[in-house]
Amino acid sequence: MARSWWKTALALALTAVMLFPIYWMVNVSFTRRESIRKGQLLPLDFTTDHYRVVFSQQLPYLTTSLLVGVGTVVLTLLVAAPAAYGLAKLPVPGGRVLSFVLIVGQMIPAVVMSLGFYAIYNRIGMLDTIPGLILADSTLAVPFAVMLFTAFMRGIPNELIEAAELDGASYWRTFRAVMLPISRNSAITVALFAFLWSWSDFLFASTLDREGGSLRPITMGIYNYIGAQNQEWGPMMATAVVASIPTALLLVLAQKYVAAGVTAGAVKD
Amino acid sequence: MTRLNPRAAAGIGIMVVSGFALAGCSGGPTVAPGESGAASEGTTTAQITFWDPYPQRETGSEWDTLVKSCAPDGSTIVRSSAPQSDLFNQLTTAVKEGNAPDIVLLDNPMMPEASSAGLLATAEQAGIDTAGIDENLLGPGIVDGVAYGVPMGSNALGLYYNKNILDAAGVNPADIKDWASLNTAIEKVVASGKKGITFSGVAGEEGVFQFEPWFWGAGANLSDLGSAEAISAGQLVSDWIGKGWAPRSAATDNQSASWDVFLTGDYGFAENGSWFAADAAALKDFTVGMIPIPAKDSAVAPVPTGGEFAVAPLQSKDASDHYANASSVIACLTTGDKATATSEALGYLSAKADVRAAQVAANAMWTPWVSIVEGAQGRTSELGATYVDVSAALSQAEQGALNAAGDASGVEAAFKDASGN
Amino acid sequence: MAITPPTRAPHPLETTSRADDAVVAGPHRRHAARLAAIAFVAPLVVYLVVFYGYPLVQNVAMSLQRYDRATFVSGGAPFVGLDIYREVIGQPKFWRIVGQTATFTLVSITVQYVVGLALAVFFQHNFRLSATLRAMFLVPWLLPVIVSGTTWQWMMNPDNGALNSLVGLFGVDPIWWLNADHALMSVIIANIWLGIPFNLVILYSGLQNIPTTLYEAAAIDGAGPWRRFWSITVPLLRPVSLITLLLGLVYTLKVVDIIWIMTMGTGTSQTLATWSYGMAFGKGASAVIRYSEASAVGGILLVIALAFGLVYIAVQRKSED
Repeated sequence: MARSWWKTALALALTAVMLFPIYWMVNVSFTRRESIRKGQLLPLDFTTDHYRVVFSQQLPYLTTSLLVGVGTVVLTLLVAAPAAYGLAKLPVPGGRVLSFVLIVGQMIPAVVMSLGFYAIYNRIGMLDTIPGLILADSTLAVPFAVMLFTAFMRGIPNELIEAAELDGASYWRTFRAVMLPISRNSAITVALFAFLWSWSDFLFASTLDREGGSLRPITMGIYNYIGAQNQEWGPMMATAVVASIPTALLLVLAQKYVAAGVTAGAVKD
Repeated sequence: MTRLNPRAAAGIGIMVVSGFALAGCSGGPTVAPGESGAASEGTTTAQITFWDPYPQRETGSEWDTLVKSCAPDGSTIVRSSAPQSDLFNQLTTAVKEGNAPDIVLLDNPMMPEASSAGLLATAEQAGIDTAGIDENLLGPGIVDGVAYGVPMGSNALGLYYNKNILDAAGVNPADIKDWASLNTAIEKVVASGKKGITFSGVAGEEGVFQFEPWFWGAGANLSDLGSAEAISAGQLVSDWIGKGWAPRSAATDNQSASWDVFLTGDYGFAENGSWFAADAAALKDFTVGMIPIPAKDSAVAPVPTGGEFAVAPLQSKDASDHYANASSVIACLTTGDKATATSEALGYLSAKADVRAAQVAANAMWTPWVSIVEGAQGRTSELGATYVDVSAALSQAEQGALNAAGDASGVEAAFKDASGN
Repeated sequence: MAITPPTRAPHPLETTSRADDAVVAGPHRRHAARLAAIAFVAPLVVYLVVFYGYPLVQNVAMSLQRYDRATFVSGGAPFVGLDIYREVIGQPKFWRIVGQTATFTLVSITVQYVVGLALAVFFQHNFRLSATLRAMFLVPWLLPVIVSGTTWQWMMNPDNGALNSLVGLFGVDPIWWLNADHALMSVIIANIWLGIPFNLVILYSGLQNIPTTLYEAAAIDGAGPWRRFWSITVPLLRPVSLITLLLGLVYTLKVVDIIWIMTMGTGTSQTLATWSYGMAFGKGASAVIRYSEASAVGGILLVIALAFGLVYIAVQRKSED
């Protein structure tokens, strides 16, 4: 019992160190502008004004971010999971090349990608739309998702698939009925990363969703506080705090599934 | 070697070929922006797009309402904002793709580059009236003798001071007539237990903007960054850092951050802009005053002209209609009844002398700023499109000087290197 | 009960000949399997070609032509072949920036990996709150980088920042964290902080995959905790470690945001990625847009990533043999 408490204490200390910048953010969000640069450890010059401003202005952007995040997760899973099944279990011609391309593709500077997207979207009229942003944000997660899923699916013993085939299942059926349920944990991990990366994306949003009004995500909503010569850090930090709460809850919930093992085999002795 | 190579090459080859194919059908030669088109030949359209660099001015704010009220009959204005350098890049992409907005407010030092890159329609084409505007303020918008837009007003830099601290230290701001007296004043403030002066020395145009009054005040010229005068300006700010009179964060603080530092009430002086004048007047923690930034040997240093220009981007189709939009909205904002409201909403002094007088009459806070604005110097007036390179070099020199923290050889090296570019 | 050999997490770049040991009963079956494979992978391929092929071509094309803002808008940029690359590499600061990039990347991923692994091992023991605290470690990722970057910038304020207060407790003089000389060290610290969650999550999952029976057997044989770590954990974690390091490398090479917000890439914190970003958008010290040079530096980054990708494959093949 005592051993367990010692570990918890150490974990708490480590977490506190890791989250100290977050504490600082919360600290500033409750501090009046005049005292933000004083470097005080506690919000001595206390105010709730920033939060009042945030609640009156930022909620539509939060909703958009949530929509885009969920959309990105769905799209990523739709594209990545079947592809991973193909790469892991089926004879894909040029499968190695594909895997290699996935690594290299992630190296293309996001800047270049966003300019490419702008040109395409402009011609097909997808600028300033949520589906357009979802499509763009998915490129942040798809290569990683495919790699993760493939790694996991390779670990699924072939006996399970053989059993399904003996029952006369088609490839699609096998995928849906056998692979997907077992891959639940890696799906949740992929969903987590896809959601987080799309939540914090700024580049695609600012290039492709400039004039979306309230259909812009929170990363752009925050820019309301960055004026030409004047930045309001209090409301910005307050926005970040408010934006983090629902996602932090999501994290705690999802962590249980992630913990069960992304690359765990389906059959363990 | 691995078996991968030939197939990897094939795979990447396929992607490249497909990429070219895509480039062919979705890219191709860009639509050439129209040379023809004039405001007088067009009619206003139902929807007008307006871009400005004030994201902090939200929907429903004073400025936003004002802009939207300037929509001609039968039209609505769609306004969106982005920070200045982003705005310029977005404008570039938009003009290239034939998707440019009707009106853009562009930072004044970007004007020569914007016009030489073929982004802007001339003021004549767009039906923008440039009459009545002060010459020094209109200057940045005139490239090779052709006017491209009108300034939305001007902001300027001044030396704010914390009256409470100065009184306690026995400093009379009226005594500050040159650099020597300024340094004496700062020394007294520091001796009384407070800190000296805040300013913004961040890399980029913002830091250069704040450095130019000292630079020009020393008698230096932008075409020669290695001169003794230029080095002396660098030495001035470097010494402040070295002696601890200015915060070392000045090398990474932008103007807003530098103001935040001043607001803590620890500093006696702050070099900052007229956009904070209203906030300064309303401040409750301590009283704030303002004097012009001193030159090395005189009381008033030339400051760079600040503020944005209202311009009409070059359009590729229905150009005349778009220019008609621009003409109508810009005229509404800068001439007639709304001119004063525009300047007040933005926190700027108007670029027209008569409107300025009206502003001062209505609000005494503006009085000390008038002479500063009238003496302001355009950054691009002499150098045109080459200003961008000079600014980059000066920024590097200043960063080097600030990092040297008073070391004279470091400062000299920084400026000599910059002038070699 | 039969002792099963340790299952290890297979890595994604393993040969796809695994299909051979699937149930393939004859040529007809193999053909059907191939078709199905293509069908499953087709959406991904289309996706890659559209979203990655075009920008890739764009990037390379831009680096072979001399662009400025005017020719970017109206076209007509002259084709100059490899001149831009020659000019970029010939600049005096090029090798300094490469060195800084190497330092930034290698130090970041090494420390992130070691700390991530240590934390993953630590969290293996199920103590009270371990699941919640492990989730909390991901919170840094929820924050927009502008917020976390600015917070680090404030914490590193030389005059009254929290970091200097901390080192002051140990009797160290205040450090000017963000000046030209120390900038690299400072952004590395912030980047490590940002990268620990990624390493923690992936390595933790990899550790979960190692059967506890192995540890128990080793303990019975008298192996101490260090021995168990080196003989069991490290080898079995190898594929996951390699993929974590590779992805970490690729992501770190691309990092721009956190450096930009803290220092705008001034002083020693300039890396190839921030240099390219500054040139592509006219930000930082110079507002001059250099599309061609930015694309060239981007191309160089691509080649570096390619090289490491090949190294990874070579290492994987060796470990298979």
